[in-house]
Amino acid sequence: MNSQNPAGEIVSKPYKYGFVTDIETEKIEKGLTEEVVRLISNKKQEPEFLLNYRLKAYKQWLKMKEPDWAGLGYPNIDYQDIIYYAAPKNNQKKASLEEVDPKLLETFDKLGIPLSEQKRLSNVAVDAVFDSVSIATTFKEKLAEDGVIFCSIGEAVKEYPDLIEKYLGTVVPHNDNFFAALNSAVFSDGSFVFVPKGVDCPMELSSYFRINSGDTGQFERTLIIAEEGASVSYLEGCTAPMFDTNTLHAAVVELVTLDNASIKYSTVQNWYSGNEDGIGGIYNFVTKRGQCRGKRSKISWSQVETGSAITWKYPSCILQGEESIGEFYSVALTNNHQKADTGTKMIHIGPKTKSTIVSKGISAGKSSNSYRGLVQMGPKAIGARNYSQCDSMLIGDQAAANTYPYIRSQQPQANIEHEASTSRISEEQLFYLQSRGIGFEEAVSMMVSGFCRDVFNQLPLEFAAEADKLMALKLEGSVG
Amino acid sequence: MIKQDSDLLLEISDLHARVEDQPILKGVNLTIRAGEIHAVMGRNGSGKSTLSKVIAGHPAYTITSGTVRFEGKDLLSMEPEERARSGVFLGFQYPVEIPGVSNLEFLRVATNSRRVEIGEEELDTFEFEDLVKERLHMVQMNPAFLDRSVNEGFSGGEKKRNEILQMALLEPTVSILDETDSGLDIDALRVVANGVKKLAKANTATVLITHYQRLLNEVTPDFVHVMDAGRILRTGNKELAIELEQTGYDWVDKASKKKVEN
Amino acid sequence: MAIERQWLSSLPLPNGALEAVQRRGRELLRSSSMPQNSQEEWRVTDINQLNNLLALPLSYAINKPLNTNTNRWPNEPVNGLRIVLDPHESSINNLGLPKGISMLSALELEQNLGHTLEQCSCKGDWPVAINHASANQVLALKIQGRDLPPIELVIKSTPDSFNPTRVLLILEEKARIDLLQVILGENNSAESHIVEIHLGQEAEINHGFLALGDNQSRLLSHLAIEQEPRSHYSFTSIQHGWSLGRIEPHIVQVHGQAKTTLKGLQVSSDKQQLATHSYVRFNGPDGQLDQLQKAAAEGESHCIFNGAVDVPRIAQKTNAAQLSRNLLLSKRARIDTKPELKIIADDVTCTHGATVTQLQAEELFYLRSRGIGPNQATSLLFRGYCQDIIETLPVEANRWDCLNNLMSTLPNDV
Repeated sequence: MNSQNPAGEIVSKPYKYGFVTDIETEKIEKGLTEEVVRLISNKKQEPEFLLNYRLKAYKQWLKMKEPDWAGLGYPNIDYQDIIYYAAPKNNQKKASLEEVDPKLLETFDKLGIPLSEQKRLSNVAVDAVFDSVSIATTFKEKLAEDGVIFCSIGEAVKEYPDLIEKYLGTVVPHNDNFFAALNSAVFSDGSFVFVPKGVDCPMELSSYFRINSGDTGQFERTLIIAEEGASVSYLEGCTAPMFDTNTLHAAVVELVTLDNASIKYSTVQNWYSGNEDGIGGIYNFVTKRGQCRGKRSKISWSQVETGSAITWKYPSCILQGEESIGEFYSVALTNNHQKADTGTKMIHIGPKTKSTIVSKGISAGKSSNSYRGLVQMGPKAIGARNYSQCDSMLIGDQAAANTYPYIRSQQPQANIEHEASTSRISEEQLFYLQSRGIGFEEAVSMMVSGFCRDVFNQLPLEFAAEADKLMALKLEGSVG
Repeated sequence: MIKQDSDLLLEISDLHARVEDQPILKGVNLTIRAGEIHAVMGRNGSGKSTLSKVIAGHPAYTITSGTVRFEGKDLLSMEPEERARSGVFLGFQYPVEIPGVSNLEFLRVATNSRRVEIGEEELDTFEFEDLVKERLHMVQMNPAFLDRSVNEGFSGGEKKRNEILQMALLEPTVSILDETDSGLDIDALRVVANGVKKLAKANTATVLITHYQRLLNEVTPDFVHVMDAGRILRTGNKELAIELEQTGYDWVDKASKKKVEN
Repeated sequence: MAIERQWLSSLPLPNGALEAVQRRGRELLRSSSMPQNSQEEWRVTDINQLNNLLALPLSYAINKPLNTNTNRWPNEPVNGLRIVLDPHESSINNLGLPKGISMLSALELEQNLGHTLEQCSCKGDWPVAINHASANQVLALKIQGRDLPPIELVIKSTPDSFNPTRVLLILEEKARIDLLQVILGENNSAESHIVEIHLGQEAEINHGFLALGDNQSRLLSHLAIEQEPRSHYSFTSIQHGWSLGRIEPHIVQVHGQAKTTLKGLQVSSDKQQLATHSYVRFNGPDGQLDQLQKAAAEGESHCIFNGAVDVPRIAQKTNAAQLSRNLLLSKRARIDTKPELKIIADDVTCTHGATVTQLQAEELFYLRSRGIGPNQATSLLFRGYCQDIIETLPVEANRWDCLNNLMSTLPNDV
């Protein structure tokens, strides 16, 4: 527990990342046309295959309908009122950090992600993305010694076009869904990780996404590949300033593991969620999917979702390789008017594949929090197993918790087990804590933290403490 | 009771078995004759339970080499139910609970399939109830357990009594009791021991798999075998069990090492 | 679309006691569309089967209908009352009802018919609309008092035709009754069946629903149940043998404080598709739900369960437990199951669970190690699996021998 964190501190800061950095930005005109897609590609000096990929996705997108099945009920998004490309001026990637605009470095400093040589974390390599553009990646040279590639996707397009062409869009096809198609057409930047055969990545990799412009859509693209026997742990963090308009964030993340490889992907999502009355905030419509292509490979998603006005995301695993493993550990906390519809899909294709789902939803205020998941056992998934546990906790009588676990099996020799419960914090437990001198709010926050323990345990150490603090912050004022 | 010329019932030679990729039995040899009581001892993981399950035909184990003959027949080629019907009984260490399946019906179906095999008449519901009541008495079990589902909600001791009841009904030729004594209080242990003694006849044999001496205080074995790492390391008489109780299993490591070196 | 239009135009002109209902139902169908897989509640349904169902002639409009095979029926219950609902008859008379059970008067019928469907928000549902459009009679009973003889209600269906039937039960305050409904599919028949039950305060009903098809028949049944405080609705359904079968129990506890027990068993084989779509809403505090839905699919069949539970803000201290247990017995069979919980009240205890497995290998081995052959062991285990649902049926159900009926579909190669 964060017992050194006095309750007073919790109360004072609703959203501490809500500042705007005053920096000159290069933006293109609002709206989306084929010309805009070409312009983005052109600005990024992309090879022709990528331009064609974007155009194909754009044409597909035009034919697709915005989904409404999640019942999220948000106002129509005017896709012509969004800027599809924004970047800090002079954004040529700098040879060294010294050349990066100090304002940007300062921004990341303020966010707790120091990039400069002296201050940066010793065991985490960071790719910092500001609006649509990656501004710096630390420890690149050190990683290169082991053959690990960690850079922005824009850079990877230039330097490793073969890898991009080979893997991009192979897990999430350009026509997968409305927002994935949109992303495929206009994606700006994001991170690229390649861990070659047999390499255990020597440090944690991390991307930090910062939205700064108010009217700019965010369309990053992340691609992580772990070759045979390779392993990597990747963290993703995100924040945005407070605006009273809604910003669209439609990212795509693709993971690929070959034989015996493993990827651990952790997210702490803390985009601006709008104010107490539900004004403003990010629309977070993200497609995240991993494919365990190889035998005994593993993909593990852990996420702590506390931000955004609306979250709509289902990090999924396609378990193709024999004995491959998929995991999903999630905490989603909603407060005020937030809506989160999140969960996972575990698609068991190969024999003896295994998946575990642990989802904890906490809804407070007038928010709504849904778990929506699919566990599917294909005809060849002999001996496959799934275990799912989805628990919800409600705080206050105006919050909603919904659970929609879809289960489908076509293989008798597969086992599926799903358990779920909904409850509130027990008064007796609260009383017990209070009778030992623990304040009400802290007691609640302890209980919530205990409720989420199974998931927090899956997070890398630095993140776990961060997640605890974040939860306490978000819950402030929602109880009693 | 040892009689040199009595019938050969179970003959295990050079038996190797594995579960998934893990070899567990690595060359077990054991000969059991009519009238004998054997004890198989050894630490956890020595292969005792595996040996019993392999004899009963559990599908999780793969026989990699060796033979098991029961009354001259190849036991390993028989289905689990054929083994049971011809007179091989395994008392499980952890009897499984089967919700919804009536214990009484289960016992009747099992008893009748054994009876058909040995050329006896099948029992109808009434005849069977008479038989089961008589045998219940022997294991001092409450008749209320007959109306419940198989082992469901039974305590540890009740489950073991239910195993002995099944043994009493099936009247097997060779009974293998896998840690039937574990988790029993002293009264329950006596019940089990008395059951075993009553059912042991000149033409049957019993194999007691156990950790502890205490069951062997009640039922005196003719042979005591010590298993380690998938093999029988040493065979002796009841004194060996007492020795084990006093000195523990530490010597096993030395002996085992020696055996490997030789 | 065209099929539904055709079906509508093939219906006789609205008339009889349900004329107004028929008009409304047809109007609704004209202005809406057929179920589609893109709709959540029809997501995995074989829509073709619905089309086939509409291609059948309406039973009461056929001049010379084929005879119903009543050989499958056991003798009338000794201590109970058998009522046969025959869609050929345009009205229901002379039932010889005992004291405490009476037919609703025309006025009572007008006041009550459709009320529970309305309460359960079922009126727009397609299976309800096609029944409304076509049914020409309703069995409407009022139940008063306790210690009443159990009712056995047999739906007599006609082969090769579409049989719409409808039932309305009003249980007065503190009334208590056992009701066993039996629907038997007859050679290429289609059953469209609606039940409305209103449970007054402290009323209790043990409602058995035995729906046994013959592999050639189809069933679309919808139940709307309205529960007043301290009432207990106990529903046990057995569904088996329909090429397309669907049971939709919708229950509303109008002021909470009631108890709902739902037990269901569906066993599918061949190419059958059986579904249960339940919906329970608590419109008040202190409600209880205990739900266990079992399914077993073999052959190339498909079992579907969707269990929605709705706990709005007003329903504090609701205690709801739902469990979906499924057996997948063949490589070509399919199971789809989806609990669906919508909860706003914070002081509630709601749990749900789902499993999909085959018969447990350890249990099978245990039985075999006692000399029981694999087929018999499978059959014992399967019997055990079905038992806890079957035993909650009203006792008269034993006469219909439904367990043996289910056992007959067991595969030999499991």
